[in-house]
Amino acid sequence: MSAAATMPMPREASNYDEISMQQSMLFSDSLKDLKNLRTQLYSAAEYFELSYTNDEQKQIVVETLKDYAIKALVNTVDHLGSVTYKVNDFVDEKVDEVAGTELRVSCIEQRLRMCQEYMDHEGRSQQSLVIDTPKFHKRYFLPSGEIKRGGNLAKLKNVEGSFDGEDDWNQFRNAVRATIRETPPPPVRKPILQSPSQRKPQRSATFSFSSIATAPKKEQDKRAVSPHRFPLLRSGSVAIRPSSISRPTTPSKSRAVTPTPKRYPSEPRRSASVRVAFEKEAQKEPEHQQQPSKSKRLLKALLSRRKTKKDDTLYTYLDEY
Amino acid sequence: MAKAGGITNAVNVGIAVQADWENREFISHISLNVRRLFEFLVQFESTTKSKLASLNEKLDLLERRLEMLEVQVSTATANPSLFAT
Repeated sequence: MSAAATMPMPREASNYDEISMQQSMLFSDSLKDLKNLRTQLYSAAEYFELSYTNDEQKQIVVETLKDYAIKALVNTVDHLGSVTYKVNDFVDEKVDEVAGTELRVSCIEQRLRMCQEYMDHEGRSQQSLVIDTPKFHKRYFLPSGEIKRGGNLAKLKNVEGSFDGEDDWNQFRNAVRATIRETPPPPVRKPILQSPSQRKPQRSATFSFSSIATAPKKEQDKRAVSPHRFPLLRSGSVAIRPSSISRPTTPSKSRAVTPTPKRYPSEPRRSASVRVAFEKEAQKEPEHQQQPSKSKRLLKALLSRRKTKKDDTLYTYLDEY
Repeated sequence: MAKAGGITNAVNVGIAVQADWENREFISHISLNVRRLFEFLVQFESTTKSKLASLNEKLDLLERRLEMLEVQVSTATANPSLFAT
C-alpha cells in the first residue's frame, strides 16, 4: 500500500498499459476467431453434407445442422459486434487524439502569429521616427540661463517644440530679455492704505525725484543681485496690469520693522512707474500741508481722487516708457 | 389395402412437404439474417472507411501544419538576431 501511495502515477500507468494490452489481445483473438470462422463453417458444411449422404438418420443430421447454423450465426454476429465496436472505439479515440493535436497545433500557430505580430510591431516602432516630445504647460517658461546650462540640444528642441509657433517663441525671448534688462525693485514695500498723518514725515524725508534719480550706483548694484533678478515669468501676466497698485517704499530703518506684503515675480516691471507715481503724490503733499484748515472730509475726497489719478498717470507713464 | 396404402403415401408426402416448407422457412430466416449481417458489415466498412479517410485527411493537414511550424521555428532559431531586443 505504501509503495502504491508513494508511486501512484507509475502504477496507474502500468494499469493502463495492462488494460490496453488486454484489450488489444482480446481484439486480436476475436479477429483470429473471425478469420477461423470461415474455415470452420466450410468444414462443418462438408461434414454435414457427408453425414447426410452416408447416415441413414437424415432427420437427426438436419436438426443438428440447423442448430449448428443458428449457433454459428449468433456467434458470428457476436464476434462481428465486438470487433466492430472495438474498431469503432479505436477510430473514435484516434479522431479525438487528432482533434486534440489540431487544437495544440492551432495554439502553437496562434502563439507564433502573436510573436510575429509583436516582432512586426516592435520593428515598426523602432523604424518609425516619431519622438514623443514632452509637453510643458504653455503659460510657464524656464529662464534662458537654465536652458543653456542644460546643454542638451534635444531638450532645447523639445522646449522650443512645446511652443505653439514662432510668435510664442519670440514672445518668450522678448520676455526674457525684458526681465534681464529690467531694473530691480526696491526690496521693502509699504501697504497701500496709510493714514496721512503717518505718511507725512516719511515722504518729506525720502520721496524726492532727486533722491531716486541720483541714487548711488552701489545701491543699484546691490539691487541687481537681488533674488528677483531672474524670476519665473508667466506669459499671461506680461500683458495684464492689475488695477490695484502697491506702493513702493524707500529703504529706511524705521520701515524695515513694518510688515511687508508678499511680492510676486511679475511685479518688478511696475516698480519704476509706481515710484514716479509716488513722487507725484509727494509733490502734491505740500499742497495739503499748506492748507491745514481744510476739513477731514475734503482730505478724504482728495485722497480718493488721487487714487484714480495715480492709475492714470501710471498708465501714461508706462505707455511713454 | 391399395386404398390404405395410397392414403398413407399421401400423408407421408404431406408430412414431407410440410417438413420441406419448414426447412425452407428456416433457411430463409438464416439467409435473411446472414444478409442483414452482410449489410451491417458493408455499412460498417463504409463508415469505418469514411472515418479513416477523414482521419487520414486530418493527419495530412496536421502533418503539413507541423511541417510549416517546424520550418518557421527552424528559420527563427537560425536567425537569433530577430529575437535580440
